[in-house]
Amino acid sequence: MIITKKKDFKDLMENLKNYQKFFLIGCSECASLCGTGNEEAIKELTEALTAEGKEVTGGFVPKTGCQVLGTKKELKAFKEQLAETDCILVMSCGAGTQTAVELFPDKPVYPTNDSLFLGNMTRFQMFDERCSLCGECILDKTGGICPVTTCPKGLLNGPCGGMQEGHCEVSPDIPCAWVRIYERMKKLDKLEEFRVTIVEAKDWSQGQKPRTLYAREKKKKEE
Amino acid sequence: MAFREKLESGEFVVTAEVGPPKGTDIEEMIHHIDLLKDKVDAINFTDNQSAVMRMNSLAGCKIALERGAEPILQMTCRDRNRIGLQSDLLGAYALGVRNVLCMTGDHVSAGDHKQAKPVYDVESVQLLKIVDSLNNGKDMAGNDLKGATQFFQGAVVTPEANPLEPQLIKFEKKVKAGAKFFQTQAIYDIEKFKEFMKYARKYPVKIIAGLVVLKSAGMAKFLNNFVPGIVVPDELIEELKAAGKEKALDTGLDICARHIRQLKEEAICDGVHIMAIGMEDKVPEILERAGLL
Ligand code: SF4
Ligand code: SF4
Repeated sequence: MIITKKKDFKDLMENLKNYQKFFLIGCSECASLCGTGNEEAIKELTEALTAEGKEVTGGFVPKTGCQVLGTKKELKAFKEQLAETDCILVMSCGAGTQTAVELFPDKPVYPTNDSLFLGNMTRFQMFDERCSLCGECILDKTGGICPVTTCPKGLLNGPCGGMQEGHCEVSPDIPCAWVRIYERMKKLDKLEEFRVTIVEAKDWSQGQKPRTLYAREKKKKEE
Repeated sequence: MAFREKLESGEFVVTAEVGPPKGTDIEEMIHHIDLLKDKVDAINFTDNQSAVMRMNSLAGCKIALERGAEPILQMTCRDRNRIGLQSDLLGAYALGVRNVLCMTGDHVSAGDHKQAKPVYDVESVQLLKIVDSLNNGKDMAGNDLKGATQFFQGAVVTPEANPLEPQLIKFEKKVKAGAKFFQTQAIYDIEKFKEFMKYARKYPVKIIAGLVVLKSAGMAKFLNNFVPGIVVPDELIEELKAAGKEKALDTGLDICARHIRQLKEEAICDGVHIMAIGMEDKVPEILERAGLL
């Protein structure tokens, strides 16, 4: 899921200083699991804004904030409250925010969160980054552990000289991705594969931004 | 070039290391080049070592060539993408550089520009393949070059990495990717190094043992605690302690000279690489004590 973090409230207020009336849009998916875009977060922010002398005309948690058409449909019920506001606040990720930007061409839309990474939730609201969406997955060559993301240098052929007792040179809190890969491949009896394969330099053109995909078009072509 | 020929003919080589200055004042670097050029077979020029921004390695190499020294160009993958690396390699060749040491490079978080974006578009194994390709007249994308390079390319290895096996697997990949020589991370335990050499001798590459001069027992402890892949045995720490503050450095020079002598006399490896780190002036004395001058 997409991991988000609330912006510092002071900074947020600085961004919003020219506006008075707000409508808040959350998201029931990732941002809810992160506690940044659920009903509770909307309630909290409403209270905080009110305490600062601002008005909140309403708030809503759409099912999937990055789903443009669905969100558009869901927001129809809030037409009036939305018309009254002079600024829309989006409490999901940057994608959700830009759904609102597309839906409301005449209104300022501001994010209340910083979008951080694609994360796995290991415990309640505890996240770590394991995939950085590089566009060309090589997990098949690395024992299922991603060095592109979990090695700070993104090395593809083994540990660097900075590895120390299994930890990364960047921080003792980071386990060396390549020691983890080595241990897993050893366990799976695949060390020989690790030994003989030189993983080629990545094709970064696959990650060229901005990326688009129309999955149905592909399906049609295949048929 | 003498370094390659000497190494390939099986003679014992000595290399040293010089870090280009932080700034444009090259007086001290020139002093070190002049001091070392007739006493060692080649001088490594570091590439923004520890991710601390300095004059580039190539400028150091060129100045060395002008003064009649043989340089080894250290190249890390931290600051340049594949286009920048290849372009600099072609430029280095045109300027007369023939030896290149391919490394991944310390992470920017270790250095003095922590906000920098680290590159690592390719890494050491892939960089070795790039050099091999340039040597064969093609760039990395397979395009023909007008004039190929003829680099003598090397890499680094950490014989005391812990765990060791993943490091050895990477060593094997480097050999496969075209590395002809290796300069090792600093070693202090010759018996343990012999074991590494027993393994490394299975591969058709030359191994140059890295040596860092110990200045004090404190420094030895610091290396043990904070520098990955360096293990200074207790006996050496005791020896430095016993020497007392005043004689510690002298003892450190002795230890280094003793190791060089043993590595050479017992033909344990193919040469030594002395990393003096601020004590380049002492290198001739070490070599003298080792009986190499
Ligand atoms: S290689 Fe890593 S970053 Fe790329 S898609 Fe696979 S898991 Fe994600
Ligand atoms: S220590 Fe391991 S995880 Fe850290 S940069 Fe080196 S190879 Fe990557």
